[in-house]
Amino acid sequence: MLVPKTDSNQGAVCSLRSVSKSFGSLKALSDVSFDIRRGEFLALIGENGAGKSTAVSVLFGLLEPDTGHVEVEGTPRRFVSARDAIDAGFGMVHQHFKLYPELTVIENVLVGNERGGPLARIPFRAAESRLRDIIDSYDFRLDLNVRVAELSVGEKQRVEILKLLFREASVIFLDEPTSVLTPQECHSLFAMLRRLQKEGASVVLISHKLDEVVSNAERILVMRRGEVVAERAVAETDRSELARLMVGAQIDTPTKVNVATDNIALSVRGLTVAGPSDKPRVNAVSFDVAEGEIFGIAGVSGNGQKALVDALIGLEPSSGGTVLFYGEDITRKRVAERRAAGVGYMSEDRMSVGLAAQGTIAENAVAGREQTAAFSRSGWLRKRAMIQNAQELVEKFDIRTPSAQQLVGKLSGGNQQKVVVAREVSARPRLLLVENPCWGVDVGAMANIHGQLIDLAKTGCAIVLVSSDLEELFALSDRVGVIYDGAIRRIFPRAELDTFAIGAAMAGDGQFSKDYA
Amino acid sequence: MTHLLRSQRLKLIGAGLIGLALVLFLVPGAGDISAGFLNGAFGGRNFFNLYATLGRYAILLGMALAVVISFRAGLLNIGGEGQLVLGGLVAALVGAYLPAPPFVVAVAALLAAMVVGAGWAALAGFLERGTGVPLLIGSLLLNYPASFVASYAVSHPFRDVASGATQTFRIMQEAGLPRFNGTILDYGVFLIGAAALAYIVLEDATVFGYRSRLRGYSAGFARASGFPIRRLYYRTLMLSGAAAGMTGFIAVFGSSQRYVDGMLTTPLYAWTGIAAVLLAAVRPRLVPVTAFFFAVLATGSIGMERTAGIPREFGQVIQALIVLTLAGFAGKLTAIAGGRR
Repeated sequence: MLVPKTDSNQGAVCSLRSVSKSFGSLKALSDVSFDIRRGEFLALIGENGAGKSTAVSVLFGLLEPDTGHVEVEGTPRRFVSARDAIDAGFGMVHQHFKLYPELTVIENVLVGNERGGPLARIPFRAAESRLRDIIDSYDFRLDLNVRVAELSVGEKQRVEILKLLFREASVIFLDEPTSVLTPQECHSLFAMLRRLQKEGASVVLISHKLDEVVSNAERILVMRRGEVVAERAVAETDRSELARLMVGAQIDTPTKVNVATDNIALSVRGLTVAGPSDKPRVNAVSFDVAEGEIFGIAGVSGNGQKALVDALIGLEPSSGGTVLFYGEDITRKRVAERRAAGVGYMSEDRMSVGLAAQGTIAENAVAGREQTAAFSRSGWLRKRAMIQNAQELVEKFDIRTPSAQQLVGKLSGGNQQKVVVAREVSARPRLLLVENPCWGVDVGAMANIHGQLIDLAKTGCAIVLVSSDLEELFALSDRVGVIYDGAIRRIFPRAELDTFAIGAAMAGDGQFSKDYA
Repeated sequence: MTHLLRSQRLKLIGAGLIGLALVLFLVPGAGDISAGFLNGAFGGRNFFNLYATLGRYAILLGMALAVVISFRAGLLNIGGEGQLVLGGLVAALVGAYLPAPPFVVAVAALLAAMVVGAGWAALAGFLERGTGVPLLIGSLLLNYPASFVASYAVSHPFRDVASGATQTFRIMQEAGLPRFNGTILDYGVFLIGAAALAYIVLEDATVFGYRSRLRGYSAGFARASGFPIRRLYYRTLMLSGAAAGMTGFIAVFGSSQRYVDGMLTTPLYAWTGIAAVLLAAVRPRLVPVTAFFFAVLATGSIGMERTAGIPREFGQVIQALIVLTLAGFAGKLTAIAGGRR
């Protein structure tokens, strides 16, 4: 079903030729040229805002280049829409899946494949047998007639890939595909991608995670500031060189030292959050976090970690249990009261919960403290103080922006997150709840953010860190609790952290063994 | 997105103006049309039409103010019409029946109108927060009972039967809004102008304005930042309803001196107010300008009808086209609705 393996394996399936693209004054791509060769496993890496997504969008016909062009099989092509790109055999697995949760797997696969008029029959029967073949052949373990809403994240991703295989895509792009997977799922994803590659498809991996890039790709393109700054065969490079190329400088990875005291800051006992059905989203969770401790929470997303954090900050009412903050019962307190008591919160949903994208840095940096004497006087904002505060934070937290009055939505992902970090850290919290602080953030910003969290812990702040990135949890946490199905299944002290043991706990204990992976 | 929106908006306005200029100068007889339009909006004997435009502007600005207050906070209150009608009706009743000195009557009528408008808006809010009816739907549907109650009130219990029309009795004459010397324009435009100015300052410089604006950008952000969500919601909604009620008071205590059935609904003031706010991209400072544009469009097209025989509905067609184009370009309504909760 895939493009057969040909002799001209080194031939380019598609290329960008001298492509430049600007958005207003921002030069997103300048004179970018590269090939994607037939049957290769290519990685495209770079910081946020380096131009990776712009380059891919141009290839896909989603953006029209200012100068330069796209070539397919050596012939210049002008894609007007993604439809053209799909017809040319390109397929994309987006970071945020493009699936209809209310439709079944087979319906999702067939969306966009309807042929004929509005009354034409959709050939479900024919498609079904072909899809079953694909599913069996790749060991996808998917039921075609189940609603997508009921699938796990890994399964949803397989549906996305199934879509591409069904359309016989020969160039497959994956945008940060592992950010939501367990180590075991990552493992099988890459096994499958390598198999596709062996059968003649070209695989293009867009990623921040150098580990997976180095262990899977054959060729690596590094982008920085809209240019391709380096091309490496995987054999001739290593992680630290790639990291250096991405940021253009040596990065010092901050290291966590244990500064936890015996003083308990947060004590959670039997915390339960009701769900839409009988099954609670958070089920009798208990744990303590000491002053100065970073308590990591690992888990496949959708296992209750979001609801747990929401209940801790007060966005979600709990239906049972207690939350003690330095001995004070805050179980029923409102968000504002908890914040006033010294609880901070960094949401993983940066664009709509962590920040107000249409507001300025100055506005975003005081949220939650707008009514304190520092920023207002009897109901009137002290605008000058707000701007000065933002200028100080921009300086101190290395936020790259033309001014403190810049709209937050116009910053790059990493700098947006730095605004959140700056706001929360400068509020001097005694407990900080953090969810996936480095999602979509480049390596440089990641080191900065990790450093801030470590420094904050040194001041005695207790931190609850929810992350889907085990590397991050291992780097920062004093202890890691694994949440599965709403309950914390196991708590690992730092000394006992082990990828596969945690992976097994994330998958619900023993469901996956080390052998499987 | 906002950037795109703005540039598209500029293109749109530019294209419209160029098109208009072409029509006015190239088409035979267009001289009459443009003269008619300009005269209708700004001219007339002793600038009669200019005063008519300003009078209409007061009402439109008031309704646009009501809309921008709520939209800015991400609350899709499109029930301005009901709040306006009830405000106007109550103002007329207080004006006609309250036995008190003229100044007291005027102030009481103003306050009553604002309270009723605020209450009607709060009711739509209660429907959303209490029973889950989306504000957009609840506030829209509450327009109908408001209109019907007002129609009933002026047809039966409070009708000035002798006048022959479905309307209330005249308000106490001395309590009406004073007029500019020798014109039909009353001081209502000042009152609304002051209210609009107050809101622009409030929105920009106070904690309330900050919270309501950021809530409009993202409701999730407002919750997570610990803003007093419930209080902010009702306060904003009631302020919006009060602005609509105040506008009803001005319409009644200004030119008409009584509540006449349909006087506030037939000219589509509330809907034009929404159009003005959308054209201003929900930015408070631009709302006075866009509201003026729509006032000119309305009175100008009446003048055009008189001199050139072009039906005045033409103006409404243009207005509808502007709104449709804006909605199509930006999905602005969905963007606002996205920040609803």
